[in-house]
Amino acid sequence: MSSLRYAARLLLRDWHAGELRLLALSLILSVTAITAVAWLADRVGAATEGRASELLGGDRAVVGNESLPPELADKALERGLSVSRTLEFPSVVLFGEQTQLSSIKAVESGYPLRGSLLVGDHPDDARRETREVPSSGEVWVEPRLLLQLDAEPGDEIELGASRFVIGKVLFLEPDRGGGFQSLSPRLMLNADDIADTGLVQDGSRIRYGLLVAGEDQAVSDWAAAVEPLLGDGVRLQRPGEGQAGVSRAMEAAQRFLGLSALLTVVVGGVGMLLTIRRYVARHLDRVAIMRCLGATERQIGAILTWKMLLLGVITAAVGTLFGFLLHLLMLRFIADLLPDLPSAGWQPAATGVVAAQIILLGFALPTVLRLRRVPPLRVLRRDLGDQIARGVGAYPIALGAVFLLMWWQAGDLRLAAWVFGAVLGTLLVLGLAAFALVQSLRTLRRGRSGIILRLSGLTRRPLTASIQIMALGLGLMALLLLTVVRTDLLATWQDGLPADAANHFLINIQPEEAEGVEQRLRDAGIEANVYPMVRGRLVAINDETVTPEDYADPQTRRLMSREFNLSQLETLPEDNTVRAGRFWADESSPEPAFSVEVDIAERMGVGVGDSLTFDAGGSRYTAVISNLREVRWDSFNVNFFVASSPGVLDDAPATYITSFYLPAEERRLLTDLVRNYPSVTVIDIDAILDTVRGIMDQGTRVVELMALLTLFAGLVVLLAALQVTREERRFEGALLRSLGASRALIRRLALGEFLLLGASAGLLAGLGAAVAGQLMATQLFELDYGFNVWLPLLGGAAGALIVTVAGVLATRGLYRSSPMQLLKGAEEG
Amino acid sequence: MRFQGPEGEIRLFRNLMLSIGAGESVAILGASGSGKSTLLGLLAGLDTPSEGRIFIGDTDITALDEDQRAILRGRELGFVFQAFHLLSGLTALENVMLPLELSGTPRAAATARQALSDVGLGERSGHYPRQLSGGEQQRVAIARAFVTSPRLLLADEPTGNLDQATGGRVSDLLFQRNHETGTTLVLVTHDPVLAARCDRVLQLSDGRLEAA
Repeated sequence: MSSLRYAARLLLRDWHAGELRLLALSLILSVTAITAVAWLADRVGAATEGRASELLGGDRAVVGNESLPPELADKALERGLSVSRTLEFPSVVLFGEQTQLSSIKAVESGYPLRGSLLVGDHPDDARRETREVPSSGEVWVEPRLLLQLDAEPGDEIELGASRFVIGKVLFLEPDRGGGFQSLSPRLMLNADDIADTGLVQDGSRIRYGLLVAGEDQAVSDWAAAVEPLLGDGVRLQRPGEGQAGVSRAMEAAQRFLGLSALLTVVVGGVGMLLTIRRYVARHLDRVAIMRCLGATERQIGAILTWKMLLLGVITAAVGTLFGFLLHLLMLRFIADLLPDLPSAGWQPAATGVVAAQIILLGFALPTVLRLRRVPPLRVLRRDLGDQIARGVGAYPIALGAVFLLMWWQAGDLRLAAWVFGAVLGTLLVLGLAAFALVQSLRTLRRGRSGIILRLSGLTRRPLTASIQIMALGLGLMALLLLTVVRTDLLATWQDGLPADAANHFLINIQPEEAEGVEQRLRDAGIEANVYPMVRGRLVAINDETVTPEDYADPQTRRLMSREFNLSQLETLPEDNTVRAGRFWADESSPEPAFSVEVDIAERMGVGVGDSLTFDAGGSRYTAVISNLREVRWDSFNVNFFVASSPGVLDDAPATYITSFYLPAEERRLLTDLVRNYPSVTVIDIDAILDTVRGIMDQGTRVVELMALLTLFAGLVVLLAALQVTREERRFEGALLRSLGASRALIRRLALGEFLLLGASAGLLAGLGAAVAGQLMATQLFELDYGFNVWLPLLGGAAGALIVTVAGVLATRGLYRSSPMQLLKGAEEG
Repeated sequence: MRFQGPEGEIRLFRNLMLSIGAGESVAILGASGSGKSTLLGLLAGLDTPSEGRIFIGDTDITALDEDQRAILRGRELGFVFQAFHLLSGLTALENVMLPLELSGTPRAAATARQALSDVGLGERSGHYPRQLSGGEQQRVAIARAFVTSPRLLLADEPTGNLDQATGGRVSDLLFQRNHETGTTLVLVTHDPVLAARCDRVLQLSDGRLEAA
């Protein structure tokens, strides 16, 4: 006999007999969830990367302080990629009597390759997107340059040897970035005009850029090809790099997505475990007959294995199709946020097929294969072999499969291990709590309680009831986590970037102006710390000379070749946390000391107790590191990699810097500041913050859609749990009715049981979700989130409602027919 | 003969020595709980005694492992049960084909179709068990029992779930097929009328088997 052919026939018969539907549904749902999440994550991830590309102006950028070798662009063009060259340098702009140091940027048509410029005809005009660049003879300028020059669009300005008309107001260039390299107001002109200005000479301080964009693979190939060609002062930038705030936001969004996918896998798994036991129980007799008729264990095993494999292939195909359609539907919701979606790849489909087989092999096959051991004597003695459907021996394999899926879906062993441990612990605690709850109900039953409690399946089948509460509890907990806790966490996360995050930086404040600026800000009701900033080069660690060449890592080498922005701190800024050593603010007369940011300390290979020597303006400043600080860069406040205790850098040449939040309606203050302190440069980072917020909002909506999917999986688990006891309920209902119970009583019994079951599961789920939420917030997302005391109550109410509604719907009609029919039906079931 | 029960060892049969000749039909009568079905299960190799030996032909089935016994069952034994035990998802024809397919017999469908005709159900081969009456289901079971041309046919209360008239027709068929094929028949029942149709009737009580 061909096992495969026979398995296919049996599978078809199982399907016609309706025995596979729930199992297939569970599986299809799991695959749908996994593939939809995979496709969504794949494409949204690529699109989010696209947003990050906008912040770079292209998919990759090469920047250098010397003219870039032409072969970089040639190699890109060879691969069919778009390229655009940029030049940036500081220069003075003249308008009548006024002069202003500006940051000049020359661009070619096509710039930017990703994202677009926001321009207007007048500073007060609405901003509009454009794909153009300044035409020859025209410059576009930032509003604050107009302010500083007292000029208007249409005026003529001088730049080097050329004269230009101010054509448009430039509100935003996507790749402006938040770094300190572009402090002066922007003036943008066409690259064709640059030679005539005579400003680009040998030895000029010019930053050359090359933006590259195009198809993913070609871009990666190009990057790999040119990276070895780049000299010391030249750097290849990738999206999300060098923009601390943005990359943090992206990372957080991806974690939320990963977590949603993991929860869907777990909930789907619970559904599988519930249905497979029922499937096995219903197959005991069939296998016993086959054994009796001469089937060997091997034959049974082969047939069952083929059946499961075939089922896996079919459900994977269907689930993958559904997953694809579902992700299209989800994308429609966020279409306006993601205008340029990359096309769908085939990998998620492969993910679906592999996931289906892992789920089946892990959850179904070990349990199903236990059927091989059904004693053939069962054909004569029906009670034999019942324990096979109840065995728990297959659970470790299922757990292994869950872990494998988690690891695979999360792509992060630590996250997977953490969530897996959490799920296991949760199941254990839920199971114990459920058992304790059921036992206490049993105790109540012995007292003077109504018939409902006495006859409730909850107290008569304590083990089954405990398992049901555990499974439902896990499903409900996932739902609560993905709805209430997720919303809480997202709110907390977005609070991490408060509405009043600093949106303006003032730099280049001269020492004698510092106090005046601080006073003026204070007068306007703004509390801002004004920090001194000293540019210094690290020259020695522990009195031994260091050079960039001492470091192997290219990024560290670049870092060490630049000057550090050093500052003096009296108190620890709010968004800094000391991770090692002690901050000097606690000491009355602190020793000269440095405080170093932890990541940079690790790169430099230094720790508390090491001494650092910086060279600033020709003098050397040495002090011992007394503490390491962790800095929350996404606060957008002024922060420093290295800061000294008061006094250390007193005689070093310094300028001052500050950041503050200024509402749009109070922008007049900026005009005031610029007029009174002409050398002070104002940087407006509202545009950058808007981009970061956009990415966060986008992430939020995607995660919400994924939560819907898990919610659906949870509801199927619920129905599966009810289905498991359907036959038992039918039989008991019939028995009670034959003993004289009215239909109304039986309905009340069922209602009472559903209410109790749902409320118990929900209460435990709420408790669990509150604890899990707090743990996740502190351990995974580093958010400050408190224990939500309402969750257990909410969970209990929601659980009772959902389980009762679903239960009543699922058992509708079960008690309508006559007891005799029911008894017959129960036997056949 | 001792037997391993759920609550420890049960000594069910004492000094039980039974020998059944080829082509013979034997009825085992006994009250409910006397161990009739257990004896049948042991004879069929569905279970093994903790003491004692059972031979089918020259084969000591107590010396075989479960898979070897399964193969033996498929080749040499046929079964008719009180509860019919047809597979619900399979048609009548497919149910009859099952033992042939399990043993890898060629032309299973044609053989099975002939077996169904032999029990008068040639027209109903495409029906599922739930579409058949109790008597028809048992006739399908009889067709399935004979389709492998077994040397030994074991029947456990074959008319127990049927009304008297239907039961009569089913037992007629059973004995008719038995005579036609010359199969050895062991029949367990509590119905003395059915038992009387066998060559030999044995009574099982108190773990002893005696001629009735």
